[in-house]
Amino acid sequence: MSPHHLPRRRFLLAAGGLGAALVTGCGTVDLSAERDGGNLLDRLRTVGEVRIGFANEAPYGYVDREGRLTGEAPEVAKEVFRRLGVPGFVPALSDFGSLIPGLRAGLFDVIAAGMFITPARCAQIIFSDPDYNAPEAILVRAGDTTRIRSLDDFARDDRLKLGVLLGAVEADVAAGYGVPANRTLTFSTQAGGIDGVLAGRADGLLLTAISLRHALSTRQGAPLELTEPFVPVLDGVEQYGAGGFGFRPDQTRLRDAFNAELAVLKRSGRLLEIVRPFGFTEAEMTDLTAARLCADPAA
Amino acid sequence: MTFDWTAAWDALPQLLDGLVVALWATVLGYVLALVLGLAFALLRRTERAWLRLPVGFVVEFIRSTPLLVQLFFLFFVLPAVGIELSPLATGAIGLGVHYATYTSEVYRAGIDGVPAGQWEAAKSLSLSRGRTWTRVVLPQAVPRVVPALGNYAIAMFKDTPQLTVVTVAEVLSVVKAVGAQNFRYLELITVAGVLYLAAALLIAWPVRALERRYRKETA
Repeated sequence: MSPHHLPRRRFLLAAGGLGAALVTGCGTVDLSAERDGGNLLDRLRTVGEVRIGFANEAPYGYVDREGRLTGEAPEVAKEVFRRLGVPGFVPALSDFGSLIPGLRAGLFDVIAAGMFITPARCAQIIFSDPDYNAPEAILVRAGDTTRIRSLDDFARDDRLKLGVLLGAVEADVAAGYGVPANRTLTFSTQAGGIDGVLAGRADGLLLTAISLRHALSTRQGAPLELTEPFVPVLDGVEQYGAGGFGFRPDQTRLRDAFNAELAVLKRSGRLLEIVRPFGFTEAEMTDLTAARLCADPAA
Repeated sequence: MTFDWTAAWDALPQLLDGLVVALWATVLGYVLALVLGLAFALLRRTERAWLRLPVGFVVEFIRSTPLLVQLFFLFFVLPAVGIELSPLATGAIGLGVHYATYTSEVYRAGIDGVPAGQWEAAKSLSLSRGRTWTRVVLPQAVPRVVPALGNYAIAMFKDTPQLTVVTVAEVLSVVKAVGAQNFRYLELITVAGVLYLAAALLIAWPVRALERRYRKETA
């Protein structure tokens, strides 16, 4: 052992102790020590910027050709934060699956990705009230809309194959409607799912009407059609695909302020104005609350 | 972030299902790679230019394009001309053909390594072409490339996550699907990593044994 070893260790201990004393003595350093997450909103106002986490999924939240963050969720978030006195924003791109871990780790202040509010997600983060409700639809090849009208057709006809996206809620919906696993194809991307339908790999792709409408608009002339949108019902419970904004679990104060402004936008009809360019319609507007969507239907 | 053992344990059956699928794709693909690779290697040595040149072109083409693109082509484009393989078959064939181009080079090295004297001896004994290959050249060429061939079994196994683009539910797709439900990525990725490690070691073991056996025989 070197003669310097002990003094150095003692020095580190002392420095660590001093650091710990500083941190505990100065409450603003430790976020979780404050009730209701401290005043993140005040801090955002001071900084003038909010960090927006998104997953680059059109039309929910994406970077457009000019390199600007846009989409349904970021545009609504920008408007709400502007009203809350936070004019600027910093886009934070993330994998969809990494949005929740990223928010919890403090990489951004809000998730604006049109994320569906589900009980499992509510156990990890808190949500604003939903700003839209997305009925599901099935993308089929042109001319098949007479043959394929609903998920029941997939459950009945054992020649039909249904495509869903990897990790998306639609896999459970398909299973709940009795579409067997061996006739359910899991595509890793939305583009892959659409190519799969075109190539005859799958006879339908189950996704929200919004996503599918947007996909069709980017593939003008492709021989594809949409079925009538519907709200799936599992075990007698309507499965709302309602999306909202995610906040860290301790940020109830910020979330409540956000909700209040969002409610104003809904009442005035300004919300629909903001989201209409992204393919949202009157049918997607909703009065559901996060509390209701977070309640576990099984409980 | 804490490590949740129950989450890891709960996901294990699904991950094992994914592992079985990945191993199937590897086994089927590997058999194809061994057989087709040898065929490629032999055809590239033939004196008939009309056979040698096209095969050479195909091998170089496949060897120099990404596996992902080939899988995509097999899965989404072939149905347009009426060939529709199941996802697992697509994956096994994609892996097998891709790795056959690698193994053909390994075989070539082995064949080139057989001393010229062996060829001359076979000729002076007036052995037929077929007998020269099956009794003289290949028995000496193949054992010396067994370790290199074994490497490709492991490499191929580790390429199975790419099969997720052709909707094969292998280990990493299971991780993504389950992770999207419970957000326990730390646990899922850890368990998946351990499974990959265990399976890769398991694949390496028979290759080692085979290698030892051949070394004894040739010594």
